[in-house]
Amino acid sequence: MFLFEHDAKVLLGTFGISTPEGCWVDAAGRLDGTLPSGPLMVKAQVAGGGRGKAGGIRRAADAEQALQVAAALQAAPLGGLAVAGCRVEQALDDAREVYLSLTLDASNAQVQVLVSDAGGVDIESADPASLVRETAALDAPAIAAATRRAAQRLSPANRDAVVEAGERLAAAFVALDAQMIEINPLFVMRHPHVDAARWVAADAKLITDDNALYRQPALAALVERAAGRYPEAARKWRHGCDYVVVDPAGEIALLTTGAGLSMMLIDELRAQDLRPYNFLDVRTGGLRGDPQRLIDVLGWMREGTQVRVLLVNIFAGITHLGEFSRLLVQALDAVPAFRVPVVARLAGPGFDEAVEVLGARGVKVEADLTRAIESVRAALCRGTSAPGGAA
Amino acid sequence: MMPRPVFSLSVDRHTPVLVQGITGRAGQRHARMMRDAGTAIVGGVSARTDIGPVDGIPVFGDCADAVAATGAVASVLLVGAAQVLPAVTEALAAGIRLVVTPTEGVPVHDAVEIRNRVDAAGAVWIGASTPGMAIPGEAKLGFLPDVSLAPGPVAMASKSGTLSYEAGFRLVQAGLGQSAWIGVGGDPVKGTRFADLAPWLARHGRTEAVLLVGEIGGNEEEEFAQAVAASRLDKPVVALIAGRTAPGGVSMGHAGALTWGSFGTWEAKRAALAGAGVHVCATIDEAVKALARALGAARG
Repeated sequence: MFLFEHDAKVLLGTFGISTPEGCWVDAAGRLDGTLPSGPLMVKAQVAGGGRGKAGGIRRAADAEQALQVAAALQAAPLGGLAVAGCRVEQALDDAREVYLSLTLDASNAQVQVLVSDAGGVDIESADPASLVRETAALDAPAIAAATRRAAQRLSPANRDAVVEAGERLAAAFVALDAQMIEINPLFVMRHPHVDAARWVAADAKLITDDNALYRQPALAALVERAAGRYPEAARKWRHGCDYVVVDPAGEIALLTTGAGLSMMLIDELRAQDLRPYNFLDVRTGGLRGDPQRLIDVLGWMREGTQVRVLLVNIFAGITHLGEFSRLLVQALDAVPAFRVPVVARLAGPGFDEAVEVLGARGVKVEADLTRAIESVRAALCRGTSAPGGAA
Repeated sequence: MMPRPVFSLSVDRHTPVLVQGITGRAGQRHARMMRDAGTAIVGGVSARTDIGPVDGIPVFGDCADAVAATGAVASVLLVGAAQVLPAVTEALAAGIRLVVTPTEGVPVHDAVEIRNRVDAAGAVWIGASTPGMAIPGEAKLGFLPDVSLAPGPVAMASKSGTLSYEAGFRLVQAGLGQSAWIGVGGDPVKGTRFADLAPWLARHGRTEAVLLVGEIGGNEEEEFAQAVAASRLDKPVVALIAGRTAPGGVSMGHAGALTWGSFGTWEAKRAALAGAGVHVCATIDEAVKALARALGAARG
């Protein structure tokens, strides 16, 4: 799960990472926290990089102006990404910009530490020689030691800050089940006040592990509290399945299991100029005789205003298709408002029983995916005049 | 960093296999189905020894007892996500050489620890989040569907379970089958990566062609492309990569399927694989046809 900067800063703050004072402002101008005083930065909260160059970070002289800027930034997507909100924070000046990141290197199952004196928005185009790399085993003292080694190759003025920040980030990395923490820039203050921080995380990127949510109470609480910001993670946490709307104007709702086959189906449909609405890995193995997850899913699909047909594609390794079909019929009955033709493509144990159960409900079952896609196309042509049909 | 043990796999109908978690719902069912597929399931492990044998398969309280009594060298772990790390640790301590962990949802930090322990023991780990592996006609460790399995010349290596079921099913329909099928799984940190398989695939006598079933996210396909040349894998390789049109920044079901900027994208993978002489196909049908053509030409 990619955390928005604001949430990342709040969480990292609990590990002693100092950040500029700030709060979250939503599209309606509501505040989560208190607005700091003085000159402010208004930062669009998006799930991606390149925000500064896309105009998503602006300066404001005071609170009133900051709120105007925050509203303007939330009026349109930024670089193709939806703006979930804005963080308004204290503007800091007179600092050197340092880069510091910890990344779980999946290939080698270790942590990669990357630091540079040349932090800031141009880090991607920075001279590779200015990047210092170290690797460490996945444990906090090892990561802290690697950061210490890397810091020795930075400008002397930045070393102490990187060593101290690195030690705290290492602890956070392990404690939060993180996959990536990037602080860019880490402000190293040129003239820190006596009672103020000598370094500050001016930006923070944090990617955590959805699979570890069960042992991360602070993250789980965030997903519960801010489900609107993290719809995919919240759905997985609450309902045990993955659901992503891939095209709000899509015409084909997909009730599918298995991540790879569901993605491939979307690719193949689009290659044939068809418009799938959603990605779904419903995990039929986890239904356990209860139609509730299917009922939930059909309810979400109702939000697709252009959806005109439901394509069910289940290639069962484990699931018994007869049992699945009975649950599907119960779910369709439970969501009468979702009235679109249903095309089912099934393969696996219990196929004959599924044909019987779904047939009794007026749903034709195809054994072949190519033929099922043809049926979907036919249903779309028919449905242009009269949605409702077989279901 | 410790060098990784070289991947090797010698599984056949005589390989003695344990099922850890055998008294659970999935454990009971799949122990039976694996045995029906020819696998020598010699024992199960569960804290619930009071349940008694499962379909005649003896149940032991821990791996050490099970290995001592049966001589098992491989284990399929059908346990919950939080139990995978302790269960693999127990299996390795008992001397198990091959662990297959189908469980979805293993935390990534646990996977790092599992991999370190497996490497230190010089064992092989397939998983997590995988339907397992099979040598059709010999043995199946996991739950690859029988309709998608038949002995044949194509080695399959797959991240996604369901997409590989579909591809395997169509291979079998086209009269082709598999020399081996290894589901490496959809997690970012895993026991066996695509690239680990390349030298083994190059040597594996019964493999005449390879079908790589990948997906967006991570860099395994790119690593595999490098390994094709390094390991002199000169058999025809065909690849399917799911997620060509997926949005960036969102995990598509698999924790590993997260694209970031140009990293892990479909196009990056296609380019790397094509550069290594791999035929990247846009659809499942195209992949099956490409394999049929390649095998026809090789045999022709």
